[in-house]
Formats: sequence, C-alpha cells, structure tokens
Amino acid sequence: MISIKNLHASIDGKEILKGINLEVKAGEVHAIMGPNGSGKSTLSSVLAGNEDYEITEGSVDFMGEDLLEYSTEERARMGIFLAFQYPIEIPGVSNMNFLRTAINETRESKGEEPIAAKEFLAMVKEKSALVELDNSLLKRYVNEGFSGGEKKRNEIFQMAMLEPKLAILDETDSGLDIDALKIVSHGVNTLKNKDNATVVITHYQRLLDYIVPDFVHVLYKGKIVKSGTKELALELEEKGYDWIKEEVNA
Amino acid sequence: MSSTLTTNKTQEFVSHIAENKLAVWNELTAIRESGLEALAQLEFPTTRDEYWKYSRTTKITKNHYHFNPIASANIDLSEVRIEGLDAYEIVMVNGFFNEELSSLPKTDVLEVKSFEECTTEELTAYFSQNLDTMSNFFSALNTAYFSEGIMIIAKGVCDKPIHLIHYSEGEKVISQPRNLFVTKKNAELSIIKSSVNKNTADFFYNSVNEFFIGENSHMNYYVIQNYEEGINVMSTNVATQEKNSTFSAFNYTLKGDWIRNNTNVFVKGEHCESNLYGAYQPKEKQHIDNHTIMDHMMPNCESNEQYKGTVADKATGVFNGKVFVRKDAQKINAFQSNNNILLSDDATMNSKPELEIYADDVKCSHGSTSGQLDEEAVFYLQSRGLSKESATALLIGAFLGEVVEKIKIPELKEKVLGMYGME
Repeated sequence: MISIKNLHASIDGKEILKGINLEVKAGEVHAIMGPNGSGKSTLSSVLAGNEDYEITEGSVDFMGEDLLEYSTEERARMGIFLAFQYPIEIPGVSNMNFLRTAINETRESKGEEPIAAKEFLAMVKEKSALVELDNSLLKRYVNEGFSGGEKKRNEIFQMAMLEPKLAILDETDSGLDIDALKIVSHGVNTLKNKDNATVVITHYQRLLDYIVPDFVHVLYKGKIVKSGTKELALELEEKGYDWIKEEVNA
Repeated sequence: MSSTLTTNKTQEFVSHIAENKLAVWNELTAIRESGLEALAQLEFPTTRDEYWKYSRTTKITKNHYHFNPIASANIDLSEVRIEGLDAYEIVMVNGFFNEELSSLPKTDVLEVKSFEECTTEELTAYFSQNLDTMSNFFSALNTAYFSEGIMIIAKGVCDKPIHLIHYSEGEKVISQPRNLFVTKKNAELSIIKSSVNKNTADFFYNSVNEFFIGENSHMNYYVIQNYEEGINVMSTNVATQEKNSTFSAFNYTLKGDWIRNNTNVFVKGEHCESNLYGAYQPKEKQHIDNHTIMDHMMPNCESNEQYKGTVADKATGVFNGKVFVRKDAQKINAFQSNNNILLSDDATMNSKPELEIYADDVKCSHGSTSGQLDEEAVFYLQSRGLSKESATALLIGAFLGEVVEKIKIPELKEKVLGMYGME
C-alpha cells in the first residue's frame, strides 16, 4: 500500500528524517516505536503533507502514486488519515459541519454526489457509538473544551467517518487512561480490514496489547534501526531503548 | 491664518451643496442654521485631526456634489429582502423618502412620518437633540443640508421589524438622509437597515440617524453594508438611552470601497444595557472604519462591545472604540473587545481601544488583538480533506460568526450568515 524509500526530511535546515525505509501492505498493522526526538511525529507529519517540512531526498509510493506530489487535502482524499497527537481546537466550527464538509469535498473530488443528510446522520450515529463519543460533543465546536480522552476518541471517530486506506495514529495512547485506551483500540480494531492498513506510532508498548501489530519498527536518529514482530515491543518495554542506542552508536 | 484656510476649504466644499434647493419648513430652518454654524466652527477633516487620522476624506471632499431625487422606475430591491421575514419597508432613494416603494405600518403602535407630518413638539423634542449630533464635520453637514428624513415613533411593542432600505444611484450625487427613531416608554422596536447601490460613481452617502430609547424600552438596530463600487459611505448613529432601557446596534460590513461608521451611545439613565457588535471583512483596496463612543453618564449600567474583522489583500480596517465612565457613574460593567485577523502581508489594521474612567467602583475591560489565521488549524482541516480555501473560509466564518450569532431575528441571521458564506 505504501512504500517509503530513503526518505529524508528537514525543518528549518535541520535534518530530522535521515533515510527512512518502510513497506506497509494492505491488511497489516505496523508499530513505530522509539525514544523521544527520534523523528516519529515528523514522519507522520511528512506523510500527511505538512509543508513546514522540506523533503530533501527519497520517495513515497502510495497505491501506485507519488504521494509527495500531492497536497495535504489531496492525500486525505486519496485515503491517508493522520490521527493527531495533539488534536487542534477550532472554536466556532462545529464537529458536524466540519465532518460534512470533509466528506463532501472528498466525494466531490471523486465526482460523487454530496452525502444525503439522512445517510450522514445515520453514519454519525453508528461511528460515534463505536468510540462511545457522546452526541453532545458532536454538536460542539471541534475539540473545544474536550478532555484529552475525548479529543483522541474524536480523532478515531473522524477516522471512522472518513474510512481511510492508511491510518497513521500518532501517539494516540498518550494521556489516555486504560478505559479510554480500550475504547480507542476497540475503535481502531473494528475499522481494520484486509483492504486498509494502520501505522501506530507510540512510545509505550501498552497500546500494542490492544492494537496488536504485525510488525514493530524502532526509529532512532531519523532512521529505522531495527524491525521485528510484536515480541520486539515487549523486549523494548522490558529493557528500554538504551541497548538499541548502544547498538546503533557502536 | 489656518482657521481662515479651514473656513475657505469648508466654504469651497459646501458652496456646491448649498446650490441645491432643499425642502424648508419653519421648524427646521433653525436646525439647518445650527448645522451651518457648527460647520463654520469645525475643522475641515484632515488626517492631522485624530478623529480622521486613519481615514482620509480627500476622496470625498474633492468632489462637487448635487442632490438627485431620481424616479423609481427601475429600482430592484429584491436582493436585500429577507426571506421569510415579514417587515414594514421604508425605502429612501438617494436620500429622499419614497412612499410608493414603501409599505408602511397601519397601526397606532408604530408611527412613521415625514418631517412635514411631524408636530412642532415632536421635531423640537428629537431633531438634533441627541448629545454630540454635530461634533463631527459630516454630521453637521447633514444637519445643515439633510435631503429628507423620517420620524419613526414606537409607542408599544411592535409586531414586525422595520426594514429601512436605502437606494443609491448616480455620479457625484450626495445623499444625506436624516432619520429619527424613538421608542417611547415600554416600547420595543427592531430596525434593519440595508443598502442597494447601482451605477454609482463618486457617490457620497452621508447619513445621520438619531435614536431615542425611552424609559424601559428596547431598540435593536441592524445594519447590513454590502455595497457595490462607486460609493463612499459615512454613517453616523447617535443614541440616547433613558433609564432601564436596552439599545443594541449590530453592524455587518460585507463590502464597500470606503466606509466610515460612527456609532455613539450616551446612557443618561440608570440600569441600562447597551450592546455594540460589528463584523467587517475589507478586501482588495477597501477601507472600513468603525468609530464608537460608549458614554456611561449614570450608575448601574452595563455595556458590551465586540467588533471582529478580517483584513485581506491591500485593504485597511480601522477600529476606534472609546468608553467613558463619568464621575459618579458607579457600578458600571463595561466590556469592549476588538479582534482582527490579517490575511495578507499588505493588509493594514489600526485598532485603538480607549477607556476614560472617572468613577472608582466600576468593572471595565478592553482588549484588542490582531493576528494571523491559525495555520495549525488550517493544516488540521486540510488533513481531513478540506481544500485550503474552504478550510480558510470555515475558520474565518467561525471567527466572524461569533458576532453574526448575536442577531436576534432568525431570518436575518440566516441571511447574514449566508452573505458571509457560513451555514
């Protein structure tokens, strides 16, 4: 589904990603772990098309297209979804209005008719139940005054509404208590099928008890320095990142 | 020396206007003369004057104007009508009342009449009786040479709002309507003012509205400014509130080459509420200026003022809001804010909030912000599939929408939201 080759990216002249290689196939769940400052969030921002970053080298193939040629909104319409580590509060824009606009612009770009009001509402009802997001939150302004857990559930709700091909969850577990973590994970697992893929970026192994990855990668100093299966995550949880750092720096 | 020059400039500008024949009634002769006297005293407006510092009036004062009460043959007002809203309509054409196009109330509760139909008592009670009606050059000009006007007196709770529509057409035409709005004790009235201009060039619209909000009465005044090219707009609104009354002024400026709004409220009684709201979005080379005065002269009152704007391209926005709390006007809650978003590097916003407080037991706050659109929010919306344009529009809508949401008439709110591209 997505093939990242030798990806280099920098911000304000400072190189953060120094040659990422990653291949994710449909139906797979990949976890990217790593110590703070290793470039995890940069990778997700770059894939989503954040123009603050400059791509200096490498390529990203997404379902046969050169992803880096497309704007943020075009990538979203192609099926890339980024669940933000820190979802933005947007006072004055209601969740519902925002989502309807997002869905309709995606449909319009594909030459489809706007979603019917009834269909939209039915979809909202179904998908919000999935992450136990209260109806009153849907009518409120986007993320404004939401708790940390509500914001993350809102991200997964948006993901459910937009039905992406590739979902990138950036530290979705950060700040979540175990109950919220279970709800979010349940949402993600329910949305998983053989035609889509998930990349889970996390600092902690805990999330991977609930969203079980097929592959685990360790990102350090802007490169993937180790890849393995879910057992690698357990090893990292037990031993920390120091042994990896030593291996790399050796 | 400089005062002679001022007078000469004033004379030069005024002499062409004075050539026009305007209606004269005995009761109004003295009023027109008082306007002339004020004009002779006032400095000719230049940017050296603090009041006109950010709004150059040369493009107005360089022209020679004439009045033109044109016929009503091809006037189409459908664009400003408000769907689903039942309202009385008062139409003024180039500053002259047009009864044929108007649909006036036939009720004892609400009187709408020309100055000719007013009694001497009514005219002397209200015309130019507001404080500060003639403190600026253009309102004095209006007093001396107003084209025509109407008196609206609400004596009770009015069943429908009044929709006042000003139609402007012509080249180097001056329109100087003068309207008086009165809510008597316990009355309630809402007024919506819309404007239509067609084929205007160097048109000068200079209106003065006076509001008298009687004891325990409520008045709402909504202004929608959505002008095509070729018209410069000077709009002065002066309100006086008696005790226990509420006055709310809402100003929505969508577009206009050059607009200056002066909205001044004088609270002369206790336990009053005053609300001043405004939204503006100058683009291209437009110039939109809002000056307000909120004068608390008596204790135990509350005022809320909120103006928000987005300034794009090479446009200029101006906000100057003065709040006075007079000595002995204790227990005043006065709140004022002005927030702006600059959408381009060439856009200019001049924001000047001013507080003058002479009482010691008051709660007053004011704030002014000018910033840029939240780029993180734009990225967030784009990452969900919204184009940059619609993400920007949505955020601007959310920003200005807060002020539009204040509208209390649902049909009007819907129309204004639609005009700003919000839903």
